[in-house]
Amino acid sequence: MADATIEISRMQRFKQQGLKYMLAPAALLILYVLFGILGRDYFSYPTFVNIIDAAFYIGFISMGVTFVIISGGIDLSVGTVMMAATLIGGTAMKHGLPMVPTLLLIIVVGLLFGLFNGLLVSRLKMPPFIVTLGTMMISMGVGSIVSNVQSATFPIRSAPGGWFKSIFLYLSPNGVNIPTGAFLLVAIAVICHLMLSNTKLGRYTYAIGSNKEAARLSGVDVKKWELLVYVIAGGTAGIGGISYAAIYTTILPAQGQGFELYAIAAAVIGGTSLAGGVGTIWGTMIGVFIMSVLATGLPAMGLQAHWQTFFTGVIVIGAVLLDMYRNKKASEVRIVTPADTYRTSMMDKIALIKHEASVHKSAGRSSEAAALQKQIVEARVEMKATYARMKAEEKADEARVRAEEKAADRDFAEMLRARELEQESSAK
Amino acid sequence: MGQQILLMEKIDKRFTGVHALNQVDFDLNEGEIHALVGENGAGKSTLMKVLVGINSKDSGEIHYLGRLFNPRNPRHAMEMGIGIIHQELNMMDHLTVAQNIFIGRESTRMNGMLLDKREQNRRTAELFKRLKMNIDPTEQLSRLTVGKQQMVEIAKAVSHRLRVLILDEPTAALTESEIKELFVIMRDLASRGVGMIHISHRLEEIHQIADRVTVLRDGELVGTKNTSEVTKAQIINMMVGRVIYEKPKAKSNVLADAPVVLRVQNLNAGRLVRNISFELRKGEILGFSGLVGAGRTETARAIFGADEIQSGTIEIGGRRVTIRSPEDAVAHGLGYLSEDRKRYGLAVNLSVKDNLVMATYDLFVRGLFVHAGKIRKVSEEYADRLSIKTPSLEQLLRNLSGGNQQKVVIAKWLIRNCDILVFDEPTRGIDVGAKSEIYTLMNELVREGKSIIMISSELPEILRMSDRIIVMCEGRITGELAIEDASQEAIMEYATMGHQEVLAGS
Repeated sequence: MADATIEISRMQRFKQQGLKYMLAPAALLILYVLFGILGRDYFSYPTFVNIIDAAFYIGFISMGVTFVIISGGIDLSVGTVMMAATLIGGTAMKHGLPMVPTLLLIIVVGLLFGLFNGLLVSRLKMPPFIVTLGTMMISMGVGSIVSNVQSATFPIRSAPGGWFKSIFLYLSPNGVNIPTGAFLLVAIAVICHLMLSNTKLGRYTYAIGSNKEAARLSGVDVKKWELLVYVIAGGTAGIGGISYAAIYTTILPAQGQGFELYAIAAAVIGGTSLAGGVGTIWGTMIGVFIMSVLATGLPAMGLQAHWQTFFTGVIVIGAVLLDMYRNKKASEVRIVTPADTYRTSMMDKIALIKHEASVHKSAGRSSEAAALQKQIVEARVEMKATYARMKAEEKADEARVRAEEKAADRDFAEMLRARELEQESSAK
Repeated sequence: MGQQILLMEKIDKRFTGVHALNQVDFDLNEGEIHALVGENGAGKSTLMKVLVGINSKDSGEIHYLGRLFNPRNPRHAMEMGIGIIHQELNMMDHLTVAQNIFIGRESTRMNGMLLDKREQNRRTAELFKRLKMNIDPTEQLSRLTVGKQQMVEIAKAVSHRLRVLILDEPTAALTESEIKELFVIMRDLASRGVGMIHISHRLEEIHQIADRVTVLRDGELVGTKNTSEVTKAQIINMMVGRVIYEKPKAKSNVLADAPVVLRVQNLNAGRLVRNISFELRKGEILGFSGLVGAGRTETARAIFGADEIQSGTIEIGGRRVTIRSPEDAVAHGLGYLSEDRKRYGLAVNLSVKDNLVMATYDLFVRGLFVHAGKIRKVSEEYADRLSIKTPSLEQLLRNLSGGNQQKVVIAKWLIRNCDILVFDEPTRGIDVGAKSEIYTLMNELVREGKSIIMISSELPEILRMSDRIIVMCEGRITGELAIEDASQEAIMEYATMGHQEVLAGS
């Protein structure tokens, strides 16, 4: 019998805990299958490559953003920093900088903007929202100023330096696209995951996001780690910029606004809490791919691109609503009424009969099992009816008490008023 | 004095593990000022919370104006004429005085379409005139002194046609002249028939303002007396005259030649840390006693680098040190266990393990990565040593009981191996069993040669644990007692010294 109870509790625990981690991946899978059934040619290799292509730059910047959000901050500048870094790199290349230094330059520019954010947030204690909002505009401006509002074009595949495109998409000699960038994305994701879960930086990021003051009073150098988190976000923005250049070749000035919101959306869909202290890289990656499946799937169904924005919004709100609902349920203090007690005891009883039935069944005594099965059905019907009746009675009771209280209040207020009048008249 | 307007009979209230109110009786007459006193945790606030419907009572009856009264919430109580002014003022700094007073019931014109500022200011001015308060209704609240702000709050309460006004430590943040002004207003209100319940820690005030005084102790009624018939010493006696189940420490366990590990000199930090000097010796438990708001926590935070210090020196192990942040303090071997665990001590949404090693990740780093196996081993070891009850080390901390959460905080600093530990209210909100476990642990620690500063508002706890006791009042040290000379009465005497006495004494 003890085994049975353990089994039941394990099931319940899975229902409560496991579901949380399975929900986002399940949604991704369902969407993919749905588009496969409804869309034209969706289950094809080129579409698959497209999904991954569309995930790159948002994927990279969303990782950095996840760090920042877990630390309790926010970074609105990653999108424009990414584009500014790429634009600056492209402009430098136009003036003769070779490919490798160009790529390094892009990353360094990203890191510098991250450092700027980090310094203002951690040293000057400015609100991250304001700081990164400012940096968003500054970086966009810097990109345009440096490039002189000219677009920058990265070399095409056949040109010298065009090899860097192969980092993200390898064109094999027989014409097959291999999304090599996916390996890089996964590699960076693994590194970020290890950083979050297995380094001091990561553990402090969670601690600071969960309770900054407690972390500080534990002797944690909050300033240093907060600074680093923004630098990481800048670094991933640089990598994102390179991937963008590789896929889209031409970089226009004043681009990038709005990308940060997709990155934040990806983190949120993946279960990262904007309140800080909660989140994973895996969740964020799932969020990124949900959005990129939408981006490729909706056109396949004949719906235009703006539907993607619409559905992404729906998913963001849905994901957060669901999360809040679950947290509320988990922390709710329930007042157990007699009706609830009755239901729990009946449910326990049914579980026991079920276990007995399964024992009979496995022993091959099917008639006994069938009889027990019938008992279960009967008990269920009885439980439902009695529970509904008890609940209704309790509700009626509550309403009656409330009405009585209200009447007493009215009474009381009247008496107070009468007294006041009396006092006033006696005063005169 | 007028007739009785309020009668609370046999009020009983239990929280988990604590009998907060045990069959308490209380009454109030029309136009009376009734002082309610007792140590921290005696049940004063709980009794008042029951009266205004913040807490529900388990049993007992409230008679108000001769009728049975069941307050549902503060708003309901206010509508019925019972108002409370909390110690922390609840008003909006950026609004004007008049806007604050009439918030939620603004004067309007054109069937409620537009606000009628002029009418509102006129009504406010009228109210102030009636109450003899000299305040401009159009002034922004944040520009007033704390004393004036409090008067606005009183005016706001009175504008609701109150019959009963509860003042929770109204004088705590006021200057002498502001207190005098407040008392004039209170007497004026009393002459209009408003009954007032005055909660205060300053016993000398009671004779100035109150007609009667009720003393609570450990959730029980000790007695109600006419203030003209009792002396301050008698009131103190009533407050602390409990039967002590745990024996106080008979004598100090500190060796005569124990070296000084911490020396603080002339420390100043804000209003509540004034010229603090003391020494802590190796193996000593130094008790810091005093009433809430005496500046004990502020002193600890200043030493720990959590708040900025204005002046003063700190020596650790005979060497002068500079502590600018908690990080510096930890590096010098200090550990601080906050009185408010949830806000300052723990990350409740992280696991037990993460909290245990929060102060010590440095010790577990191997190359780039933290050594997960070692963390697990050490966590298990300390969870075991302190018998922290948790289903697993991965359990989120918020699912643990208060006592076990406190053990996690203690373990956090033990893993760090700090030499000097500051325990700020170490047993607050903890059940009896866990309490004695924590006491045992503290005694073990000092035997190992660590030194402890214990801040506690519970006198029996102070007497039971300390080798020496420092008493603070209003940001200053008002007394120091060797455990051999200490008694509840002596501590209370020092702890209730008014502002002037402190100044005269120093």
